[in-house]
Formats: sequence, C-alpha cells, structure tokens
Amino acid sequence: MSEHDRIRVLSVLVEDGSNTLSKVSGLIRRRGFNVHSISVGPSGDPGRSRMTLTVHAGHAEADQVRKQLERLVEVVEVEDVTGEQVHSRELVIAKVAPDQVDGLVKRGAKVLDTGSGGTTVEFAGEGKDVGDFINELVQHGAVNVARSGPVVMRRTA
Amino acid sequence: MILEALEREGVEFIFGYPGGANLPIYQHLPEHPKLKHILVRHEQGAAHMADGYARACGKPGVVFATSGPGALNLVTGLATAYMDSVPMIAITGQVASTQVGRDAFQETDVIGATSSVTKHSYLVTNIDQLPRVIHEAFHIASTGRPGPVLIDICKDVQQATAERVDIERLEIPGYVLNGHVDLDRAGEAARAVAGAERPVILAGHGVILSHAEAELREFAEKAGAPVGTTLLGVGAFPVNHPLSLHMTGFMGTGWNLKAVQNADVLMMVGMRVDDRVTARLADFAPKVKTFIHIDIDGSEMGKNVRPHIELVADAKNALEAMTPQIGELHEGRGQWFSQIDAWREEHPLKYTHSNGHLQPQDVLIDMYRRCRSEAIVVADVGQNQIWAALWWNYDRPGLFLNSGGSGTMGFALPAAIGAKFGRPDTAVWCVAGEGGFVMTAQELSVAVEHQLDIKIVLLNNFSLGMVRQFQDDFYGGVRSESELTHMPDFVKLADAYGMPAVRVDRFEEIGPAMDAAERTKGPFLIDFRIDPEANVYPIVPLGKSLNDFWEAPDK
Repeated sequence: MSEHDRIRVLSVLVEDGSNTLSKVSGLIRRRGFNVHSISVGPSGDPGRSRMTLTVHAGHAEADQVRKQLERLVEVVEVEDVTGEQVHSRELVIAKVAPDQVDGLVKRGAKVLDTGSGGTTVEFAGEGKDVGDFINELVQHGAVNVARSGPVVMRRTA
Repeated sequence: MILEALEREGVEFIFGYPGGANLPIYQHLPEHPKLKHILVRHEQGAAHMADGYARACGKPGVVFATSGPGALNLVTGLATAYMDSVPMIAITGQVASTQVGRDAFQETDVIGATSSVTKHSYLVTNIDQLPRVIHEAFHIASTGRPGPVLIDICKDVQQATAERVDIERLEIPGYVLNGHVDLDRAGEAARAVAGAERPVILAGHGVILSHAEAELREFAEKAGAPVGTTLLGVGAFPVNHPLSLHMTGFMGTGWNLKAVQNADVLMMVGMRVDDRVTARLADFAPKVKTFIHIDIDGSEMGKNVRPHIELVADAKNALEAMTPQIGELHEGRGQWFSQIDAWREEHPLKYTHSNGHLQPQDVLIDMYRRCRSEAIVVADVGQNQIWAALWWNYDRPGLFLNSGGSGTMGFALPAAIGAKFGRPDTAVWCVAGEGGFVMTAQELSVAVEHQLDIKIVLLNNFSLGMVRQFQDDFYGGVRSESELTHMPDFVKLADAYGMPAVRVDRFEEIGPAMDAAERTKGPFLIDFRIDPEANVYPIVPLGKSLNDFWEAPDK
C-alpha cells in the first residue's frame, strides 16, 4: 500500500462556535490520531462550517476518527469521502524570482503581483499537482510558500 | 434565572461552594427553598457527591463552583463521572464577559481545561442563551450515554434578566440518540449466542444505566449463557445466580477468566472493553469465533475489539429485541456448564483467615451478613475496591458504587455522602483505604452537619496497598514511597469532626464494632487495622494475558 493510499479524507459539517475548532483538534490530539491537514471555512448553511480533514490512517483508524467526531455535539455530520468521486483542490501562494515566472505560468500558475522583491503567484489543483508545483518551486529556490489543506466536494456527475 | 431553570429541571440538591464569580447566583439562593444546597469543604468533594447522588438515584447531580481554582478543583470529579458515564451538571462562575481573555482575577479557561472530561460544555456570555443552554445541558447529560456537562456562566450574565424563552422544543442537530434496534442484527446476535457451544456474556455499566438487568437475566436464562460483569457492571447480574461468572477483568475470578478465555462466542453488552477487562489485548478471548458488541455509543465498536456483530443501541432495547429470536440451543451446553463448575471448584475466591492479623475479607464478610442486599456500598480505589467488589454477593444494580474508569482515590467518602442524599432510606456503607480516605476527609464535616447515616469502614493497612502489592509483584519488590506513616489517629480525627468512631485490631472486635455502627444514628467510623501484607487475588500480572492470573497462595 502506498503512502497516498493511507490518506483518508473526512468532510465534517460543524456548528460555528468559539470552541468548535479547539474541540475537534483536541479530540484528534487526545485520541492520538495522525492528522495530515485540516482546513475550515464557512459552509452553505448559515451558522455552520465545513472542515476537511485528511488523516494518515488505515480504514479502521479513520473509522474511529469519524465515530469519535460524531460524538461531539458540535459536529453535525461526518462523511468519509476517501475514494469517492470528489473534486479536491488545494491552493498555494508563493513568492518567486522573476526568471521563474514564465515557466510557472505555463504550468497554470497565475501572477498576483510583481514588485522589487519578486513576483507573487498562485496555483490551485489536486494535492499531487500542488505537491509537484511546490517541489519545482523549492528546487528553484522560491523564498516563501504558503499552502492550504485540501477542500473537497462530491462530483455532480 | 439560573435557579428557576434548575427548579424546572426538577433539581433537589446542589453540591457547591461560593466564590467571587458565582456570588450573584448565591445571592438569590435563599429565595429558592426547594433547591437544597449542600456546602462542601472542597469543590472536588462537590463533584464526587453529585456523582454518588446520580449513581444512587439516577438523576443528574448538580454542582456549583466559582471561577478559576473553584472550577479547576472540579476537574478530577468531572473526569471520574465522564469515564463512568455518570450524568452531572456543573455550573461554574466565570469572570464578566468584558473581562474574559484578559487574565482577570480568578480567570481560567475552564471550557478549555474541561473539554476532554465533559460530554459537552457551554460558555454563556449572553443572558438570552441561558434558558436554552440549561435545558439542553440536562437533556445531553442524562440521555444516550450519560455524562457530565459543564456550563460556564459569565458573572454579568448571572446578574442579567431576560424574558422567559420558549424552550419546549430542543433542536440539537449534532446530538443523535441511538434508539433504533436493527431487528435482523439482533436476531443474528441472539442465534449466535444460543447456537454457541461455549457462550459467555459480559455485562457492563451500560446494563445498569439502561435498567436492563431483568432483560439481561431473561436473555441469559433462555439462551443458556453464563454472565460475568465488569467492575462497573457489578450488580447487573446476581452473583448468586447459577449462571453467574462473578467479576471479569484482570482482578476477576478465576472461573470467569477461564470461561472468557475458552468461549467460542462472547457477547459484550454496555461496556467499553477496556484494558482492565482484556489484559493483554492480543490474547483476549482467543478462541472466540464471534464477538458481539452491544453499546449505545457507536464509537465503542471496534475501539479495542472488533466485533463480528455490532448493535449500536440501548442495552434494554437490544436485549428485548434479541430474546424472542433466540432459537435452538447448542446441544453441548451441559458440558460447558460442567466445565465452568469444575473451574469454579478449582479456582475459588480464597484467603487465609487466621494468620494473626485482621483480614479485610473478615470485615467484608461480617458486613455482608448484616447488610445483604439492603445497603449501598461505596468503595474507594485500590485493594479496598476490589475486595468490596468480590467479597459480596450483589444481587441487583445500584448497590455497589465505585470509580472504575478513572480510578479516583478520595471518591468514596463524598460519593457516599451524595448517595445518601439520593437514597435517604437505604443504608450507605463507605469502604476505603486510609490513603484515599485522607484525600477528601474534609467532607466529614458534611456528613456530621447533616447527620447522614453513613458507616465508614476504613481498611487501614498503613500503606498504599495496591501500590505496595504492585511493587512487590511487578517492580522488583522495591517498596518505594508506598508506606504511609504519620497518618492521623482516625478515631481522634472523627472525634474532632464531632462523630463517633472505634478502632478494631482483632477479629473478635469486628462484631461489636459493627453493632455499634448499626446502633448509631448518623455517621460512624471504624478504623480496621488490617494485615499490612494482605493482597488482592486473583490478579493478572501487568502486561500478561488473562490466562496468566495468579491466585491467592495457600498458606
């Protein structure tokens, strides 16, 4: 089984609250689960947010993460969307040297601004593409890289 | 506003302690004579009293504490209740909402500090939230798998007033109760037990919490399956019943462990299957072909042992659904019973009665002769707890209370006080070692103040007995810091609090001391000076399998 196969993706709908994120992250720490990434943002429902967790775990452990999360009163719904037909996107923003820009734009990056300190570009894509993009940046000595965790949604078709 | 809400929820007793951040609540307390406030001597005592109250009478126990140190003193009591699924409401005062986050006097992030030991918690910064929060809190604490809920209320909110809000309808989308029993799955489970050659049922606290003891008994009798209980499940099945295997786990009875380790179908109902039950997990019940797990909390399924058949449901509902579907019993059942009988003969509970010292079993056997099923026994943690669990034939739930999951020393005295408030007509006996007893002994004041009829049985072995036993058996015999010297004279200590007490050194003195305790109205303490070398048996050495249990040596 490759490393990638052991990543499981959970989509978690939560009630907004000052304590929700700390409850979820506290539970993950307490139960000793190995979380790869977590991203949070408002969902379509007012008063609720959508968290996307990627867990470095086998099926049984991910099942425990899901069940433990479901116990939290703040958690409305947990879906394990691993292997499902989903769109998964990550975003990376990076400051790069001017001579890199053309190559990166050809790969699909978008220029956000250019100044004396360099050029800021953004790139969005599936986790693997974003990983490759960052590897290339690092090889060319990019100064600053910020990467989001993935957000996912089931495909409509 | 808070107090009216508590009255609406049917609260009778509040165990609490006032301080700066909850004074607005206390100011109005005298206007509510229906709410009887019990002033404790330390907040931990309040939490254990509320816990004992809830375990004894089934209603959520209510605790008040102030912010900062007051609330933090509850943490051990909350953890104790959380681990054992006991319904509790803790209402803590918090600094004013305008002060939160500024390190104000006696400010602590109580929600943060208690999140991992509460079923749910609320920080109330606005009066409009309050009626809904209190109603929700009681609902969450006492339904499903019960547990403690904490409500942290800012001081300015305590002083505010608001319109009565309609709270008839509760909408908590993230709180789903597992009520529905899958009938097909229940049938599958019932047939698996009945059709097994060597079935065993283990029953936990969940059976007691769901009042499923009659359903369990009916199922076990019809399916012809022997039943053992966990430490917290003691009383879920009568010890004197022919199908009883008494207690399981790493200090369970020999015949129970033999049965578990040789079973081909193991049904676990209302329990967490924790390490104290399984001992070395890889060797737990190795011959089982079908594990059946019934629990109201879905997250327990497969947490430690992966079941082949799982029923996420209330124990009572599940057993009710199972019994009519039992079907035919396996023909080899008679042989299984004879085998268990043989193990029972081969590995009985035993101790050496006369070695010149008073034995704890002597004390408990005398107590049991007097109390039978008419008293609640509240044990502390350690050797005293296991002796009180094993050397007593509990025949129904609610008679043996102890801190099983958390193993909190100092639990017994305050929990016994709470139990007495919850069940004033039942005799309450508190069994404790001297180590745990002094951790919360200040609550004797409460027992004396309210003249509670509690009999305190100290099994005083001049040491931390369980620690000493572990050191002797598993840590190279190095008795490091387990001897307790400079302990108070417990008879004088009781006297200082204004209650009678006697000391017992010899077997012949047990009866007269117990007579005196029973004759006395109000609290009474007996300091039993027991054999300092007395051990708990059977015991499974740490890290070993249930097969490897040690028995009491023949002396």
